[in-house]
Amino acid sequence: MSVAEDRSWTGRLRRRAVGALPPEKLLPDKQPSYVSSWIYVFGVLSLSCLAVIIGSGTILALKGPGWWHFTGVGHFFNSIHLWSVELFFFFMVVHLWGKYWMAAWRGGRARVWITGAVTFLVAIPCALTGYVSQQNFDAQWISTQAKDAMNSAGIGAFFNLLNFGQMYSYHVLLLPSAVVAIVVAHILLVRKHGVVPPFELQATAAKAPEPTATAESVEQETPA
Amino acid sequence: MAAVFNLNHHAQYVHWHFFQMSVSNILVIVAMVVVFFAAIFIPFPSHGVNADSS
Repeated sequence: MSVAEDRSWTGRLRRRAVGALPPEKLLPDKQPSYVSSWIYVFGVLSLSCLAVIIGSGTILALKGPGWWHFTGVGHFFNSIHLWSVELFFFFMVVHLWGKYWMAAWRGGRARVWITGAVTFLVAIPCALTGYVSQQNFDAQWISTQAKDAMNSAGIGAFFNLLNFGQMYSYHVLLLPSAVVAIVVAHILLVRKHGVVPPFELQATAAKAPEPTATAESVEQETPA
Repeated sequence: MAAVFNLNHHAQYVHWHFFQMSVSNILVIVAMVVVFFAAIFIPFPSHGVNADSS
């Protein structure tokens, strides 16, 4: 390695990234046996819904309100967007419950848990700004009600739910970007730290003086 | 769905002391709880070769 390579920021960044997430950790082809459970499926289902949300939302943004209100295909994509959001929250809540009762922050995984919880919190205003961006009477009703809620919380001067331009910008750019960025960070942290093992396995690993049959799980427990 | 369920009416609410929630929201929450417990107790289909490989 030359001196120039050693000092360049790209080289340093690459070495740091590969050190934190080597390819076999970033894209593993094996998982511990305890991952074979339905409860782990809900994170993937949430991700699938997010992909459908982004895809259908992109089409809605391209075509505009006249299309999604007054054409059959527009109605279809409007419904796809709505129901993928409903399912996104449904699966995300089940995933969150599962991880809460597993205490998924164990073993140096606090940031994994925090990014997941923050994703849920950021997704709520993302959905709310979508409801007030529909361009119909439902949107008017929700925006006036939510405006009162914002005012009562003392943040009405910053978020004006009656301002369609502001809400639409929040919905199609700022908040989805935030959700996607936090989700990407969440997935990378899961890859870095591994899936949290069950309590019994953690206790076994803590008692075992030498690596045993649960070596893979013990390795997962090591904070990186 | 609209042909099966008549949705052209006001939402029905459950109101008990301070608690007030629409029936549809309660049904969604109940469905989440049912799915949560189903996910815990229903065995995951394994590949039948090696439990460690996926």
